[in-house]
Amino acid sequence: MATETDTQQIGTNKEDEPELDRGPFEAWAARSIKNPKRAYRAMFYTAMIFFLVTTLFPFYWLLMVALTPDGSLQNIVLAPATFDPALLLAGDLTMGTNPGAFVEIFERLPFHRYMFNSFVIATVTTVIVLVVSSLAGYVFGRLRFKGKSPLMLLVLLVSFFPPAAFFLPLNQLFNRNFAVLQPVMSDGSLYNTPYAMIIPFSALFLPLSIFILTTFYAQIPDGLEDAARIEGTTRLGALFRVIIPLSAPGVATAGVLTFIAVYNEYFFSSLMTDPGAENWAPIVEGILGYQGQYQELYNLMAAASIVGVLPVAILVVVAQEKIVSGLTAGALKE
Amino acid sequence: MATDQDTAAMDVDTGSGGPLSSVVNWMENLSEAAYAYLLLVPAFFFITLVAFYPLLDTLRLSFIVEGARGTEPTIGLENYIDLLTGSALISRQVLDVGFTAAFPFIELGSPFFRQALFVTITFAIVSVLLETLIGFGQALVLDKEFKGRRWVRVAIIIPWAIPVVIQAMIFYLLFQPTVGFGSELMQALGIFGSTPLANSRDSFIIVLVADVWKTSAFMALLILAGLQSVDRSLYDVAKVSGASPWQRFKMITLPLVLPALIVAMLFRTMDAMRVYGIIDATAGCSTVPSLTCVVVDAVFATRQFGIAAAAAFFTAVVIGAFISIYLLFFADSDGGYF
Repeated sequence: MATETDTQQIGTNKEDEPELDRGPFEAWAARSIKNPKRAYRAMFYTAMIFFLVTTLFPFYWLLMVALTPDGSLQNIVLAPATFDPALLLAGDLTMGTNPGAFVEIFERLPFHRYMFNSFVIATVTTVIVLVVSSLAGYVFGRLRFKGKSPLMLLVLLVSFFPPAAFFLPLNQLFNRNFAVLQPVMSDGSLYNTPYAMIIPFSALFLPLSIFILTTFYAQIPDGLEDAARIEGTTRLGALFRVIIPLSAPGVATAGVLTFIAVYNEYFFSSLMTDPGAENWAPIVEGILGYQGQYQELYNLMAAASIVGVLPVAILVVVAQEKIVSGLTAGALKE
Repeated sequence: MATDQDTAAMDVDTGSGGPLSSVVNWMENLSEAAYAYLLLVPAFFFITLVAFYPLLDTLRLSFIVEGARGTEPTIGLENYIDLLTGSALISRQVLDVGFTAAFPFIELGSPFFRQALFVTITFAIVSVLLETLIGFGQALVLDKEFKGRRWVRVAIIIPWAIPVVIQAMIFYLLFQPTVGFGSELMQALGIFGSTPLANSRDSFIIVLVADVWKTSAFMALLILAGLQSVDRSLYDVAKVSGASPWQRFKMITLPLVLPALIVAMLFRTMDAMRVYGIIDATAGCSTVPSLTCVVVDAVFATRQFGIAAAAAFFTAVVIGAFISIYLLFFADSDGGYF
């Protein structure tokens, strides 16, 4: 690309450049000195391509590992060692690669179940967080009362402590048997149930949503809420029928960020259940499951990783504006 | 009969409406403050159950010192002292000498917890500095108007959005000597030894690279928000007065972005001090120990709850110390974010 435009430029600029025996690079350098904008533009494109390659190459490489057949999992750089486009002529549509790995991951382990577990946990947590943080965001964004700042600070405090500081008592709490839960849970303890993850996540990811929604709810003009109240709506009705619908982009932002955060979490996800899929273990355990079984199944680890990335990758493509605005609003609020 | 049933049903109807409307009435008549506290109840229920109660319980556990078998546990600071002096019973007392020979700054045989402390702090400082530099570069690229900017932005955000376990898998495979080419590349450059995932120093670098790859995007987005809030006319004024692009960057962009930059660095530092997943799924906690690793190890390997609690609370204290440093240095550096 760059050289192409350069040679064109040399052609058009001949009149300005009397010394024609310069090499193309020297000529480019000379023009850059005369016109620094070109140099900056070149720097810009170099940087952009560098960032694109560094962020995307690992995914491409992961795909190549997943497509490599079992026997030849060695020194994969740009393509599997067995890759040969000539095989296409021989009627082999896979061209020497092994797409079967994407089927095998579901046969070796119930990977779909792990994905399902992660989905349920992330969705339920997102719903709880949205409801609870809508109430709190309304209070912090729109109401005036004593002790507002200290309470807000208390919420912020949660995101400051490491999960390890909450882990030990929660682990003991969830392993204890409660007589009340006996009819619902088999042994009355929350360990190995989705609640062992949904409850901690609902609290840990609450502060970010509260901050985002506080910002959004505070921007709704008072007149709209007053009008709804005069029409005879109850206080809660005004919140759910006027404020929340008007702040739909903010609610969507908080929801997307919470979903991604829960789906990506590692610490509690790996410690709050036993590894089996029937224990509601999320994808963390699913992917690590290929690590320990009899031998290291590198191509399956790669294939499972690609399948596991797809939901969030799609979410990022669809909701990138929301993610960007949410992160910046959440972080810059304070 | 039929009419009887009807009236009964109607009675039930009004009866069930009664409590509901009285609740609504009660809520309508609350003062604004009381209503505010009422709506905060669910949020504080979760936060108390999952954060405040466990936090206080962790603090309490950390003071319970288990003595020899059969003796009553005593109350005291011994858990903290044992951790720092290295006499605490964790499954590993020190890192394996063969593995750590090349790890910088750590003396051989220094207590495991001090090594974990060192690893965590070094990791936090180095990763946040690298992420800030790279994130700034990415933000400057994204700040320009160009075709396909939307897609470049997606590409840069994606590493931030993927699960930690998948990020760990990518770098585990890249540096796995048989499958990946990363180790050979680094060995050719003379940086890595023969078994990078079993060598503390090499694994530390792998974990660092993985973290920088994933979270630079987070820094980039926050810095980008700062960049886009800069008034463009300032640049025009600077151009007219003959400022070079570097001068424009130094005199306009940097000072105006600084508040956003500091907030972003603060968030990242807090996050980096909690590092666990990427270590656990690549090199393992025994090769690159972090503070969280010590907690998990004490709970699951040796069942030393007092020690685990002390390590957990110590981690919180270290993070608190870091935040205080940030606040002390930058609280009054305009912007008014705190």
